Amino acid sequence: MRSARTLAIGAVALTLLAAGCSSSDSGGDGDDAVGGSIRVWTHTNKSFNKAYKALADEYMAQNPDVSIDFTTFDYDTYIQTLQTSLPAGTEADVLQMFGSWTCSYSSNLAPVPEDIASVDSARDEFFKGPLGGYVCDDALYGLPQESNVEYGATLVNTAMAADANVSLDGWDSYDEFKADAKAMTVTSGDKITRSGYHFTTNDGISYTFLSLILQNGGAYIADDGTFTFTTPEAKASLELMKSFVDEGIVDPVLFDDVSNWVGDCFFTEQCAMGLVGPWVVPEYAVDFPDVAAVTEYVALPTLENSEFAADSGWGLTTSSASQEQDLAWDFISYVTQNADNALQWNLGTGTLPALKENVQGDARDQLLAEASYTEPFLNILGDAQYLGSLPDRDRLFYKIIVPNVLDTLNGDITVDQALAAIEQEANSL
Amino acid sequence: MAIETAERDRTAEPKRARSSRSLDAPQRHFRWIVLAPTLGYLAFFTLLPLVWVVALSLFNYSPRRNGSSVGGLGGDNPFVGLQNFQQLFDFSGQSQLSQTFQTSVIVTLIFAFIVLPLNLLITLPLAVMIEAAARRLRPFLRTIFFMPVLTSAVAVAVIWQYVLHPQYGLANSLIGKLTGETTIISWLNDSSMSVLGVPVALIAVTMAYLWMDIGYNLVIFIAALQGLPKSLTEASLLDGANAWQRFRYVTLPLLKPTILLTAVLTMISSFQAFDLFQVMTAGGPDNQTRVLSLDIYENAFRFQSMGWAAAESLVLLAIVLLITLAQSRLLRSKWTY
Repeated sequence: MRSARTLAIGAVALTLLAAGCSSSDSGGDGDDAVGGSIRVWTHTNKSFNKAYKALADEYMAQNPDVSIDFTTFDYDTYIQTLQTSLPAGTEADVLQMFGSWTCSYSSNLAPVPEDIASVDSARDEFFKGPLGGYVCDDALYGLPQESNVEYGATLVNTAMAADANVSLDGWDSYDEFKADAKAMTVTSGDKITRSGYHFTTNDGISYTFLSLILQNGGAYIADDGTFTFTTPEAKASLELMKSFVDEGIVDPVLFDDVSNWVGDCFFTEQCAMGLVGPWVVPEYAVDFPDVAAVTEYVALPTLENSEFAADSGWGLTTSSASQEQDLAWDFISYVTQNADNALQWNLGTGTLPALKENVQGDARDQLLAEASYTEPFLNILGDAQYLGSLPDRDRLFYKIIVPNVLDTLNGDITVDQALAAIEQEANSL
Repeated sequence: MAIETAERDRTAEPKRARSSRSLDAPQRHFRWIVLAPTLGYLAFFTLLPLVWVVALSLFNYSPRRNGSSVGGLGGDNPFVGLQNFQQLFDFSGQSQLSQTFQTSVIVTLIFAFIVLPLNLLITLPLAVMIEAAARRLRPFLRTIFFMPVLTSAVAVAVIWQYVLHPQYGLANSLIGKLTGETTIISWLNDSSMSVLGVPVALIAVTMAYLWMDIGYNLVIFIAALQGLPKSLTEASLLDGANAWQRFRYVTLPLLKPTILLTAVLTMISSFQAFDLFQVMTAGGPDNQTRVLSLDIYENAFRFQSMGWAAAESLVLLAIVLLITLAQSRLLRSKWTY
């Protein structure tokens, strides 16, 4: 009897020990060996996929009992696959997610365990712009990997700037900026043949409008969740945008989103400056090395404050249907919270960091050594404000803000009419 | 009485011969085996999607929301009955979605009714001319005109975008050469330009569409011309008809069934035109080139309003059906040769 009791105690002790060993409480450092198999879904992007694979290989080398299988989908297919598989519960364990989509799917996603990150600890760790999309109703549903910034600094063709005697030290005010943009504009008769500053793309208009509202000290979403665009701040913002057209710096009919998109326009030297995120430089540098060699980013002037609107970029989430949530979160933590790994991913993908730690010290030097043109963005990542949990971000941008702002810029409707229309249409979403 | 019965038997016999009951069991089984793949294909790829579209149109459905286990319908994707259809035809101007839909219907109709006559006016005379050309030249001409049909619509759109580019486009460059002045016209993005009330951007896309599409009808007309009985044209020649009279009073009437076919096909394909609009203008400027298929696509796949897009699709189906029926009635020939 006594020996049986000793045996039972021993068995319990062994079981507890085994359970302790197999716990994945590794804090994402990959030091404590874990086991299991997880599937990861991402969208197809050569550099993204390569960077994920490299980190997964390292993780598996540290955890020989772990296997990580990747499946990639082209962008459109990925969106549709997420939409159909999440409600059906057939998705992978780890899902790459664009932050701005996360809350749409949060009912099918697992919240981040407290031992990985809480909302507060994540706010200390990550910039608020990229993190914002992953926080739904005060719960955290994923961890970001990149800051997705489309505003805050402008592409500048330094050769054109030198020809026009424009200094690249930055601008203290929009009057200074517009004067330099005007100096770099070229016209033939009454037509602009080279725009001084092309911001009249769909994203350019939307981000500029919302960012200027924030910088004017306003807000476009009220506390009760309704949209507020008939405000003095929104009016001042739209008037400032219109002044670029009125002063002959850009013509939205000739410099648009479809036939003369800002990347094409800038790298074919039809624009001296252009508003688009830093991802555009490596995209075009291959085909336009000469222009890329004279390309820099310079921070845009700010108004009352320096905040600007930004999407929440790519990051990783875990399916609530996953049977391997602990392992999934451990891997996600390894990729996103480990500063070296997160930096390695940013360097490999040419993206801006989401981790605050990685815009300082050696990490910053490494980022700048890889892409010096990103420096102005590294300085402003802390000012990025997540756009907000919008009921339908794309419809708000492309169906409501863009057409009404374009009508204003083209002189078809007044600023007040545009703001009233935007507010009414946005609130009917 | 006996005569009547015999008469009934005589008339009943052929019907029985055609009836499936006259087939023995192996023949009936064979028939179903042969038909099964086609019926299965039609049921799965045609009937089921159609039923699904009808069902979706009755719900406020978005795949982003959690619905019930029955195809995601219900739950957060509630049943709304005919509300989507009512809203499509809400002319109060309150709903931006309704306004965009109504604009897209008008743009689609304008596009289709420009494309149809222009296409026929170009392809029929061209087919006659090619048939009148030297025998050795005909295959070459047919190939030349048919080549754009084989080209990807996206490639065609990109080519025409370059041709019409405001800064370095061929069109502006030619005009500039002719006028001696720098010409910057935004063919695809200037909402203020129109010809006879039709936006220039829509005309530009129509040109690209016609360039790409005429080869198809051309081949049909050439085949039809080759199949016309020579005896009738020879008879008219003996009667002293000149070339125009032979075309007008002999060839054209004989081509009526072919004209009906091409008209119907052209009308249907122009209602479905999507790629060129998506790439060349994305519906702009100011929705002047927003055709219905583009609006459906955007609502369904970009904005995830599948219920609304399904309702729009059914309206498009109804429009195409009505116009096809009208064309069939108008162009129906009462005889054949």
